[in-house]
Amino acid sequence: MQELSANIRRLAVLMLWGFLLVCLLFGYWQAVRAPGLRANPHNEQARQRENAIKPGCVYTADGEVVLRAERIADEWRPAYPQGAVYCHLTGYNRDTGLQKAMREVLLGIGAYEDWWRTVRYGPGGLDIALTVNSKAQKLATMLMRGKRGSVVALDPRTGAVLAMVSAPAYDPAVVLENKLSYEMFRNDPNSPELNRALQGLYPPGSIFKVFTAAVGLDIGLVEPETIFECSGATRVSGVLVKCRKPSGHGRLTLSWALADSCNVAFAKLAEQIGPAQFRSYLKKFHLLDQSDVSLPASQGKMADFDAYKGERELAQAAFGQGATMVTPLAMARMTATVANGGELIQPYLVAQVKRRDGQILREYSGRSLGQAISQETAGQVAGMMAQAVEKGTASRMALPGYSVAAKTGSAQVMHGEPHAWMVAFAPRQAPRVVVAVVVENGGAGGTVAGPIARELLNTLLAE
Amino acid sequence: MVCGAIGGLGLALVAEATAQPLSWALRGLTPAGVLLLAALLMDLVNGHRDRLLLPLCGLLATLSVVFLTRTDVFLAMRQLIAIVIGVFLMVAIYFLIEDVRSLGRLKYTAGVCGVGLLVVTMLWGEVHHGARLWLAIPHLVTFQSGEVAKILMAIFLAGYVAERGELLRRTGIRRMGMRLPPLQVAAPLLVVVIFCLAIFVAQRDLGAAMLFFGLFVAMFYLATGQASYGLLATVVFGLGLVIAHHYFPHVGVRMSSWLNPWADPQGAGYQPLQALFCLGEGGIFGAGLAHLPVTKLPAAATDLILVVIGADLGLIGSLSIVLIYALIALRSYGLAWQATDRFASLLAAALATVFSLQALVIMGGVLRVIPLTGITTPFLSYGGTSVVVNFVALGLLLAVSRDCVPQPEPTEPDARA
Repeated sequence: MQELSANIRRLAVLMLWGFLLVCLLFGYWQAVRAPGLRANPHNEQARQRENAIKPGCVYTADGEVVLRAERIADEWRPAYPQGAVYCHLTGYNRDTGLQKAMREVLLGIGAYEDWWRTVRYGPGGLDIALTVNSKAQKLATMLMRGKRGSVVALDPRTGAVLAMVSAPAYDPAVVLENKLSYEMFRNDPNSPELNRALQGLYPPGSIFKVFTAAVGLDIGLVEPETIFECSGATRVSGVLVKCRKPSGHGRLTLSWALADSCNVAFAKLAEQIGPAQFRSYLKKFHLLDQSDVSLPASQGKMADFDAYKGERELAQAAFGQGATMVTPLAMARMTATVANGGELIQPYLVAQVKRRDGQILREYSGRSLGQAISQETAGQVAGMMAQAVEKGTASRMALPGYSVAAKTGSAQVMHGEPHAWMVAFAPRQAPRVVVAVVVENGGAGGTVAGPIARELLNTLLAE
Repeated sequence: MVCGAIGGLGLALVAEATAQPLSWALRGLTPAGVLLLAALLMDLVNGHRDRLLLPLCGLLATLSVVFLTRTDVFLAMRQLIAIVIGVFLMVAIYFLIEDVRSLGRLKYTAGVCGVGLLVVTMLWGEVHHGARLWLAIPHLVTFQSGEVAKILMAIFLAGYVAERGELLRRTGIRRMGMRLPPLQVAAPLLVVVIFCLAIFVAQRDLGAAMLFFGLFVAMFYLATGQASYGLLATVVFGLGLVIAHHYFPHVGVRMSSWLNPWADPQGAGYQPLQALFCLGEGGIFGAGLAHLPVTKLPAAATDLILVVIGADLGLIGSLSIVLIYALIALRSYGLAWQATDRFASLLAAALATVFSLQALVIMGGVLRVIPLTGITTPFLSYGGTSVVVNFVALGLLLAVSRDCVPQPEPTEPDARA
């Protein structure tokens, strides 16, 4: 009997330990993990609760309303006052674009939950101010109408995204009008849903020479005045490189090779640079990284130089062909790095999180990713790009009153006309605006992408 | 009285929140009134019995009516009827059993009936919500046989261990720091493991399998005092579950939704995740009685009534419920410890184990320690069989306290008396 009593006591103690464990776990889920659980998108209770919350608005930097909430039949629905202009930023429902990425902000939940604010102002979302300039965004949307491609404008000093346009665009209200319009939108062969600025992958073509030149200069391999030989078509690293001038440039400086876009000179330069240095600078420039601007983005691609006949790939990568694939934003960021004296700043799209009464709760800025190239190199590359505007292929970029630096690109593709590229910044001495434009199958960069970039530069410089 | 106050107040609040007529509030007084009546009846005959268990279980039953009213008024009505029947049976059992020690003689009858019920259910039971738990007597009644079987098994095991427990106490061989059971012990243990696995596979009910297994192992432990046997059996049982799950994948969808509910948040993982979300919604202080619509919470009235309480009353409410169960466990094991008779002691321990394990298995399931099962939460879940059987078990515990716990001597003789 005595032993039985002892056993009963031990069994009871075991059960009590179980109850204690259960208490701790209730504490874990109901106190520690509760905020995360409340904000989880699969939470049906939260969904019902959130449908009652009035979501915040999205503004541009100059105060234009881009997204606001409308009360329709006991439900808050998103409304898009600007139609198609900001479609790729806002998305077309709660599961796309900034409405998805900034869900917790717009609804004021999760990390943005503040019971004191709720008590004082009632449940309501927070407003978001973007870095985007409404004039530039509208102009870029208009200029890209009827084309496929993308426009990105940055402030090189801060990383602020001044404009981000992907074409073709769509009006979220029209898309969601009925089932048929939605089906047509989803199945459109031109994929309007895709945000080409961040998700589109393109061969960069000649604008990539900016990078190759920067590497060559930064490691001290060449000077802007270093002489190269171009005979029109030359075998470099076992691959036949053709220049855009069939007769060849003859003897030319690196500076002129960039300004007049000579492929042969750059293939030879890349051969001298070698795959190891080329790769290390790709990393320093974060050229292939996803851009972290709160929206889904693609990673760039580059050929494997260590593979069989990898040196051929390197010779082609020197002028942005071969397997090289980049996003328009990455090219804008590369140009901004040159414009900003070699310091790489991560672009950002969301500037502020505000309360409805205007009080700023959070402020964002572009994160510096360090010096990709020296200030001296950046200055030299900028000079070479300015020469391209003064007397090279980018002569259409010249703006009265400003000294503009630019580089054209016409990236050869498998099907159709080449993709037309233009990257530019101005003013050259103290750059305030960087623009990158790509028009799919547009043809020559200077004539197709150039005017778009020029208009945009002009407008943004006047701001 | 306390139950009545809580029930009345709770139902008044629910009526307020769900816009039910206030007459609903009065129904909260029903369980309290019935329990009070039962207590007075029992006191008429013999005032010496446990004074803690009945109020605690009554409190749970009252809360059950409150929270069922909040989830589904129709179910609350049926639960009320079940509580009245259960309390009636409790009193009847309390009076019918003149001496709880005599119940030991019925151990084999109880054992055969219990196993028989389970086997019959495995073969011919009705399937509801994917589990074969229901036994129907045509045109008369449908009941959850496992609930009845657990009482019968408790009686059988208590009687068996009381009489033949010595057989199990042969010392085994010591190997690698563990005492391995001799054949006389190993054979029944193995039978138990296989029996519980059969429940799992045939009834597709992991909760019942775990409950019966836990009960058997606990009784083995009480008989032998060898924790290592229990551990060994648990390991074998766990392996058996894994193998059974492998060969009968339809049996345990709940296994995969336990391991990774996030893999399919709208499908297999829906119920466990929504349960957690509701707990999160409750937070520390709760969202307020009947404040959240729990229409999207599957089985809110049965499996997940605890989650509803956690959502409405928050962490404070959850911990209070755990405290009530811990007190019930403590008191029941206390009765077992105090009881002067071997059989009565073992019976009380077995019933205490059943209550505790049931509460722990469902709480562990909700809190993701073990797979979420359809086991009932004692006195709280909606379920006629469950409520009635739990009150019968309570009646047995009270009978043990009446017959086998010595009346405490007054420690200080009052000089003035």
